[in-house]
Amino acid sequence: MEHYLSKLEQLKFKFTKHVKNNNEIHIELDDTSQLIEFCNILKLEMNLRLLTIIYCDERKINHEFSIRYLLGSDIDDIFLFVISHMNKKHAYFPSLSDVFPSSIKYEREINDMFGIQTQEDTILKPLILHDFQKNVFPLRKDFDAKTELNYSHRKFEFTPITGDGICEIPVGPIHAGIIEPGHFRFSVIGETIVNMETRLGYTHKGIEKIAESMSIDDVVFLSERISGDESIANSMAFCQAIEKIGQLTIPQKAEQIRLLFAELERIYNHFGTLSGIITDIGFPYGASRLNILKEQIMQLNEKLSGSRILFGVNQIGGVKINMTDETLIYIHSVLDNAFQTFEKILDLLKSNSSVMDRLRNTGMIEKQVARDLGLVGISSRCIGIESDTRHTHPYGYYPSIRLKQKTPRETMEHQVELQKRIGDVLSRFMSRVDDLRQSKEIIDSITTLKNDGLSVSLEGELAPYSSGLGYAESHRGETLHWIMIGEHNSIFRYKIRTASFSNWPIIEHAVLNNIVADFSVINKSFDFSYSGNDL
Amino acid sequence: MDELSFTGIIFGISQVLLLVSLSPLIVGIMRKTKAKSQKRIGSPIIQPYFDIIKLLRKDEVISEQSSWIFRCTPWINFVTAVSVAFFIPVSLIYSPFGVVGDILLVVGLFGLGKFFTILAGLDVASSFGGLGSSREIMFSALVEPALFITIFVIAIFYGGTNISTIVSSANEISFLAAPGVLFALIAFFIILMAETGKLPFDNQSTHLELTMIHEATILEYSGKSLALIEWSQAIKQIILLTLFVNIFIPWGIADSFSWSQIGFGVLLVIVKIISLGILIAFIEIRIAKWRLFRVVDLIAISIASSMIGVIFFFI
Repeated sequence: MEHYLSKLEQLKFKFTKHVKNNNEIHIELDDTSQLIEFCNILKLEMNLRLLTIIYCDERKINHEFSIRYLLGSDIDDIFLFVISHMNKKHAYFPSLSDVFPSSIKYEREINDMFGIQTQEDTILKPLILHDFQKNVFPLRKDFDAKTELNYSHRKFEFTPITGDGICEIPVGPIHAGIIEPGHFRFSVIGETIVNMETRLGYTHKGIEKIAESMSIDDVVFLSERISGDESIANSMAFCQAIEKIGQLTIPQKAEQIRLLFAELERIYNHFGTLSGIITDIGFPYGASRLNILKEQIMQLNEKLSGSRILFGVNQIGGVKINMTDETLIYIHSVLDNAFQTFEKILDLLKSNSSVMDRLRNTGMIEKQVARDLGLVGISSRCIGIESDTRHTHPYGYYPSIRLKQKTPRETMEHQVELQKRIGDVLSRFMSRVDDLRQSKEIIDSITTLKNDGLSVSLEGELAPYSSGLGYAESHRGETLHWIMIGEHNSIFRYKIRTASFSNWPIIEHAVLNNIVADFSVINKSFDFSYSGNDL
Repeated sequence: MDELSFTGIIFGISQVLLLVSLSPLIVGIMRKTKAKSQKRIGSPIIQPYFDIIKLLRKDEVISEQSSWIFRCTPWINFVTAVSVAFFIPVSLIYSPFGVVGDILLVVGLFGLGKFFTILAGLDVASSFGGLGSSREIMFSALVEPALFITIFVIAIFYGGTNISTIVSSANEISFLAAPGVLFALIAFFIILMAETGKLPFDNQSTHLELTMIHEATILEYSGKSLALIEWSQAIKQIILLTLFVNIFIPWGIADSFSWSQIGFGVLLVIVKIISLGILIAFIEIRIAKWRLFRVVDLIAISIASSMIGVIFFFI
């Protein structure tokens, strides 16, 4: 932290800054025209990457829009907010796409939701609101959430790929099987994919807008429903954001229970995804065995919380579900059994040459592309970028977890293993296996529960227009929730950045030069959420 | 065996009916085997019959863009499959209609059915149909030469391409005496897996359109047409299994027209077909679908194996 502050001091830019919550630095530039240059220096000097761009309609408070560029580090526990304000004089906001290529997606989102373009006056493709009427910008404050909109069909322009023997294959938005909707436009020569473009947004629910009309206690339920299989990660990030704003310290026991459920969620989802990968390469024998494990964990979830997908666990100030030391023993025994079987299945899969051949060298991604797009979670770990919110920004009970120290030999072996991560489906498969084993270790390290209650309640009203950042690592990666509180404990702005949102663009790179028949397994190996992307 | 007696005709027709009616059962047994291996209960083994009945009762949705090819393809498939059933010996070493039962005719009739299936896949102009058709034609073009060389190996060993001749000669000599036939068996088995769309060639149980081969070409079919196509696919499978059984392990088949021998022959052939079906299901369990373009290697193995068979005949 001090290191970063001193580095900031050395910069020749003029700005005001203040520090919040020990790991947030808020910076406001005096001269906004230097913003791009400033961010470029931050990226080069401090190795920061763009986490999200938060746009906010603050015309009610100070007659202007505000824009916050959230930068973060992969190594140190640091968040950097670069804040800039836009009044009537500046009708455009600067595009950071030259510095951070990943910012284009956020700029398209802002253009959809607020109707504000980047400075270059480029025409941005819609990202989510494809079929909305023109000039409807739902996240502006003067738009009423109850307005009935007419459906207007706007043609989505796919980049035309022409040439000898190039065919277009439209796939979706309705797919076979029970998966979410999304449209993929393939351009192929024979079986080889030369280009692919995604068009998502079919599951847009307007979560960020609905939240503004709900009480904060109800928004917990809303946040669970951002993406059904990340319910704990999302509600945890939301609760932590509110608890930060309210300066609430929640009981240790509640932190432990949150952690246990978060890891259980990770375990059941990783089992499910591994099973999905194996299904998609046509090996139902292995897939069904992994599915049994997923089912066992989901039944454990139901026994513990009453919900197979862990809805209704978190609340602001703690948790609703109690646990005793006996339940802890039960969890350990179920997991021990499941992981014994899991190691056997893993041996079976590794020894099957037809399985390994399908996974190896399929859907490779490049490290530079992964960095440029700001990938998080498994998608970045599969290429050797160690980004894990639990390590870099420890939250909740994670700082107190003491994992077994690795022997030098084990560390060495792990390093060798990491060298094999070349960004193909097999690397993602093995990264998930690593993640699973680590989750098991984390749960095993909790042997006794603290005894200090389940929750504390918020005292009084939260200060209006104060904001907070909550973050958690879902099984897909880093999840960020930024909240600005309005008057009377309402929500003024709720910005959600799921791991799916920042990771989706990589799929267009991963499928290149692969064959169409392998798309399913490549897609499944990333396992992005459509709902978490469309919000 | 050349005269067409009345009982002979009745027997021949009942043999065809047996194959046609048993074919969904084999599908059911193979599915059940796979389900058991995946620790699922699985649908009952007579589920394929229920499926066909259900589909026959249903209405069809036919694309307005489609031509007569799309509509007549199920019938062509069904008719070719059933007519092949007339030529092949099942429980008796010859078929009453075996005079015209040349094995090349069998290949040709199956080829005709497949040709129309591929056309129908293109006809509706859906993107998956075209994808499936191009893959299917690629595999057919590769499997066909392998199949022909295998047939020639069998023909030079058993003296002719007429199936009844092949089966009766096979019944007389033990194939162990001729290693060439053993290589033909390996080649034919690979072709059998390819033609019936088994793993590692094609995953019949997948729901992912992008990975399908055969299923993609028939994706637009519904109702009665789908029932016909599925049924003819099942008949094709049982015919190939019967051919395999009767060419390579024919012992126990009736060699003269007597009821006791035929009765025993029928039972034995059913047992053989079911065991072969279960064996194939077990192979499918152990193996994942291969990369699309690596499947070609398997067909190359098949060709190589039958070439060795040819060499064995001359040394």
